[in-house]
Amino acid sequence: MDLPQGTLDLLLLRTLSLGPLHGWAISERVQQISSDVLRIQQGSLYPALHRLERRGWIKAHWGLSENNRRAKYYELTKSGKRQLEIEKDAWQKLTAAVAQVLATS
Amino acid sequence: MFADLLFRLRALLRRNSAENDLDEELRFHLDQQAAKHQARGLSAEEASRQARLDFGGTAQVKDECRDSWGVRFLETMLQDVRYAIRTLRRSPGFTACAVMTLALGIGANTALFSVIDRVLLTPLPYLEPQNLVAAVRNDSSTDLRDIQRQARTVAQGGAINIRPMDYTGGKEPVQIRGGFVNAGFFPTFGVTPMLGRWMTPEEDVGGGPDYAVVSYQFWQNFLSHDPQIIGKTIPLSGKSYTVIGVMPSDFALPREKADVFVSVWVADPNAESARGVHSMHPYWRLKPRVSIAQAQAEMSAIDRQLMKDHPDTEKNRQTRLVPLQKALVANIRTALLVLFGAVGLVLLIACANFAVLLTARGLARRREFSIRTALGAGSGRLLRQTLTESTLLSLAGGAVGLLLARWGTTFLVTLRPAALDRFNGVRMDLRLFCFVLGVSVVTGILFGMASTWAAARGDLAESLKESARSTTAGASNHAFQKSLISAEFAFALVLLVGAGLLIKAFTRLRAVDPGFNPDNVITMHVELPEARYAGIPSQTNFRRELQARLNALPGVETAMITDLPLGGNYVTHGIVIDGHPPVPVGSEPDAQTLSVMGDYFHVLQIPLRAGRAFTPADREGQPPVAIVNEEFVRQFLPHQDPLGVRIDWPRNDGRHVWMTIVGVVADVKHLGLNQPVEPAVYAPYAQTDERWRRWMTLVIRTPAQPTAALVEDVKKVVWSLDGQIPVGEVHSMTDLMSASLAQQKFNMLLLGIFAGLALLLASVGIYGLVSYRVSQRVHEIGLRMALGAQPRHVMTLAVADGAKLALFGIAVGIPGALALTREMTSLLFEVKPTDPATFLFVASVLALVALAASFIPARRAMRVDPLVALRNE
Repeated sequence: MDLPQGTLDLLLLRTLSLGPLHGWAISERVQQISSDVLRIQQGSLYPALHRLERRGWIKAHWGLSENNRRAKYYELTKSGKRQLEIEKDAWQKLTAAVAQVLATS
Repeated sequence: MFADLLFRLRALLRRNSAENDLDEELRFHLDQQAAKHQARGLSAEEASRQARLDFGGTAQVKDECRDSWGVRFLETMLQDVRYAIRTLRRSPGFTACAVMTLALGIGANTALFSVIDRVLLTPLPYLEPQNLVAAVRNDSSTDLRDIQRQARTVAQGGAINIRPMDYTGGKEPVQIRGGFVNAGFFPTFGVTPMLGRWMTPEEDVGGGPDYAVVSYQFWQNFLSHDPQIIGKTIPLSGKSYTVIGVMPSDFALPREKADVFVSVWVADPNAESARGVHSMHPYWRLKPRVSIAQAQAEMSAIDRQLMKDHPDTEKNRQTRLVPLQKALVANIRTALLVLFGAVGLVLLIACANFAVLLTARGLARRREFSIRTALGAGSGRLLRQTLTESTLLSLAGGAVGLLLARWGTTFLVTLRPAALDRFNGVRMDLRLFCFVLGVSVVTGILFGMASTWAAARGDLAESLKESARSTTAGASNHAFQKSLISAEFAFALVLLVGAGLLIKAFTRLRAVDPGFNPDNVITMHVELPEARYAGIPSQTNFRRELQARLNALPGVETAMITDLPLGGNYVTHGIVIDGHPPVPVGSEPDAQTLSVMGDYFHVLQIPLRAGRAFTPADREGQPPVAIVNEEFVRQFLPHQDPLGVRIDWPRNDGRHVWMTIVGVVADVKHLGLNQPVEPAVYAPYAQTDERWRRWMTLVIRTPAQPTAALVEDVKKVVWSLDGQIPVGEVHSMTDLMSASLAQQKFNMLLLGIFAGLALLLASVGIYGLVSYRVSQRVHEIGLRMALGAQPRHVMTLAVADGAKLALFGIAVGIPGALALTREMTSLLFEVKPTDPATFLFVASVLALVALAASFIPARRAMRVDPLVALRNE
């Protein structure tokens, strides 16, 4: 299932809130947590990560991967944590409202 | 925001390492993905293919990543700047024209506007200057005291009269300017001394203490900055005054100049208690919220009351109140407003020129833009590029303009005539510079963008086809450009006519015969102190001895007169003519009265028209004699032989001491070269009965240009007679002549500069337009020549193109000039503001300049080789 518009940032922030990960691991993790329902377009992952980095919500550093290769790891910053709360909130409100609309019809 | 910018900059600066990082990051991803597929059993090759499929287009992802770094904006800007510099350098003619247009417009306008702003618009350096008014009429201290007591509309009043005083506390005796004031003077202006204090009303009474307040400049030059000066005494005109205050350095009187200030009641108790001696310049401070009309109404009522109460001394009182600022610039107001108009016109011309240049360039690049649009460039991108170009041009123009503005302001300050003396703080105004720069830049950007917009938006195919054939571009754009060029010529005509009229008036003025020969004459002012020369015999003895000793100097001829022509001073008296019907007391006609020692008319070479000049025999004890000028005869003795007629001043007791007219001399321009001659009476110093005529001006003619050594010799001769007498105001007569022309010269020069600028800009504009049109029509010209047109026909075609615009502008400009030059009437001496010769001359000059400016590019058209022109397409 493709991601609804605008939820990629939320998913990335949420995934990174569990700990630093590199890009490939992020896409795997999203798929895994969502029980293979959500699938991130791998191509759109990196521009999104770089955009979040520019906003200052995540920061990157080079580290060693499980198989001992140089990999770029991303982790959540303080302002990223705040942003995650905001987006989570907004998402919950949205889904609640949509659910309500669906329920009343 | 800041972090964001930092990120972008880092990304931009570390471009290479960022690219490498990106490559590595994506490669890692693909490898991981491939490894995953491989683990599921795909072959290495298949796994890597699958991984790339999962990922999508690598190049596109990379591009999106770069976009998200946010360096795109900065990068394209740098690219635009580099590209703009390259294209501007490729067309140096256009660039130079545009930059110079802006620089001249910005520089000249900022410089002149800085001066005007300072003079007309800056508030006076006094407390609440809007409440200050000047009275256009001198008054006596007694009258002023009465007015102050009655007036309800004024809060404060003060008055000043400048009289020479001798300061004998230094190495040489010097004459200084004494400000005879009352206690209300400085409180009226709201100014307090820097050191010490101002005098109190209790001290400003007859017999009060001899206190003086000195100016900062006097304190600096004569009292060597003594910080302990308060309480010390200084010798002034034979009395010793205690210094009680020093004025601040930035203080200046509104109109007068003074070195020391003393109480008029203390320093001159006799004259000041006389109601009829109207010698003080009054200033009033209106109460808040009182209008000038209210104050004027009250002042007129008080005038009427004073006339009723004191009919003997107060006749024809008509005090007129004028806001101080207006009173100060009254003389130069018209001149400044005319210059103000000139500034505006030149700014308009410069902006129009910039617009024409940019529009022409925009049109010339239609094809380039069309091609780029066809290749996928967004119109936003093209606009941004034009914007970059205009901004670069504006910045370059602004930079050169800044230099010109600074240089021009300094130049104007060195030129400034005496009327601007008060405004010693004139310097380039940065705010004005920014304003003018802003106006030009906005114009440039607007017009540049408009033309690009037109080029980029138009039907692509049509435009490509059209420009491929190199015909001339859209007619509407041309109509616009043409009207701009015509407008430039109309404005230039107005300016040139104004300047032409001023130049003509100035040459007329310069050609005016002053009535004397100013060459090789030096003059100096000497005043005998009342303390030692109270009586007329002592004054006459001093003068006669001085005259003899000066004439003993080799090659020197000397005479003395009270007030020099063009020197700014004169004394007038009422005149009574023996045998004429009596005139009511107080309404006798006025004439200038001048006292003379020696053969003044010979020394200044004023021609004798009838009778004889004064001789040494016309002395005390001999029958009193007088010499009058021709204007005197014209006005008062039109139908009789003036020689032998007896005249006198009006006398209260009617017991006349008649002077017999023994000679008539030619008229002398006493008040100024552009002023009418007034009737004048010359009489010997030796025969005067007015003891107060204690001053004289030495008039010394030498065989050659007077030297500084001669001035020193003269001073030594004066001091050999009396070592305490100051000798001051050393001027040559030619200096006085040029000083009297300074204001007119200033006006003429400034308007001349502006008109020249306008001419230059307009010719640059027409040159630019015609060369652009020629380059656009190369194909057409080639075709015409191939079909047999002669080179000279082609040239006529191109020249006519420009000439038509110029002629149209000139035709429109003439009525405009007629309407505007009317405002200059007061500046023009003996020249009508509609002077046909000037209009004709200016129109022809403009037409010729337009022809010349069109001729240069037209010659290029003539040299077009039809073969090359046609093959080019």
